Amino acid sequence: MNTSTTSTPAKEILVGMGQIAAGQAPQRMRAILGSCIGVALYHPGRKTGIMAHVVLPNSAGRDGAPGKFADTAVPQMLAVLREQGMPTYGLTAKLAGGANMFNGCGPLQIGNANAEAVAAALKKAGIRVAGQDLGGTCGRRVDFDCTSGQMTVQCAGQPARTL
Amino acid sequence: MNELRHGHDWALGALYGLFTSATHDASAAMCRWTNGLITVTLDQVREIALETVSAELEIGDELLTMVVLTIGGEVGGNLILLFDEINGRQLAASLLGSAPGTEPEWSDLEKSALTETGNILGCAYINAITRLIGTDLMPSAPYFIQDYGASVVQQAVMTQALTSDRLLLCQVGFRRKDEQLDWRVVFVPTQGMQEAMQRSLHAAS
Repeated sequence: MNTSTTSTPAKEILVGMGQIAAGQAPQRMRAILGSCIGVALYHPGRKTGIMAHVVLPNSAGRDGAPGKFADTAVPQMLAVLREQGMPTYGLTAKLAGGANMFNGCGPLQIGNANAEAVAAALKKAGIRVAGQDLGGTCGRRVDFDCTSGQMTVQCAGQPARTL
Repeated sequence: MNELRHGHDWALGALYGLFTSATHDASAAMCRWTNGLITVTLDQVREIALETVSAELEIGDELLTMVVLTIGGEVGGNLILLFDEINGRQLAASLLGSAPGTEPEWSDLEKSALTETGNILGCAYINAITRLIGTDLMPSAPYFIQDYGASVVQQAVMTQALTSDRLLLCQVGFRRKDEQLDWRVVFVPTQGMQEAMQRSLHAAS
């Protein structure tokens, strides 16, 4: 299975579609989301986070970047944390995205299915969801702060929300 | 699809030829619509990795004004016309023969001017593809959207993402007399449309 994982010392890490990126305080991770889901796992003791930009709910056994699919992204995020010597217990998850863009009448409205698949994958991995901002019909800019574990969600034209 | 992959460079070249011809039609339509003010040129037809789509299109986290036209079905795709606030308002104003709007909310007339522009451009491309593949394509009414450009592009590429980690994009640029405008059109055909176009181009070669 190919991986599409980045871990750089940059202060801000942009997480593109299908990518997984890990970071430590004081790094921040950013993703722009439509129907995709930004899912961040955080270990408060280590001030380490990892974010996946999930595009589709199910890999159906396909090869490809594991961060692209909900069912492969969460296990891959845990594998990356283990590789870095991080404990995978005590993690919490925050997630945002899953909009049905184009007022819900455009092509392939997959936001709800993505949100449900990510929630199921987290449940299967035994990870508690500490905050979420899902659905709607607008895009989101998401910033995850590895120092505080806070996820700031900015919908177009609306006040920012902190999870 | 394997056969088509073997002829990958040929296919991209052939699609470039198709879109050059379609862009010529789109430019003529745009020129008529804007009273000779605006012309359209084909920038590139290329295949890129899914995760790089926003970077490749140079779409960051800025809010953009967009008109989206969707062709439904397996042989379908999405066409997105992207503007920044200033350029979108200038186009609407020039079409309406008025000064650019200054209210934060766009008026219905301004939105209508932009959606009609998307309709004219989209129909020029759709007509060219229809002539090639011999299949009637049914575009949606254009949607007017103000949102993060990357969020909208993400939705537009979703159908391609179902079957591939790579995307085919056709990018178009605009000129006002000698000035390059910061407007963009992105056309994202589905896998089914790519295959239909490539089969037709192959048969015609």
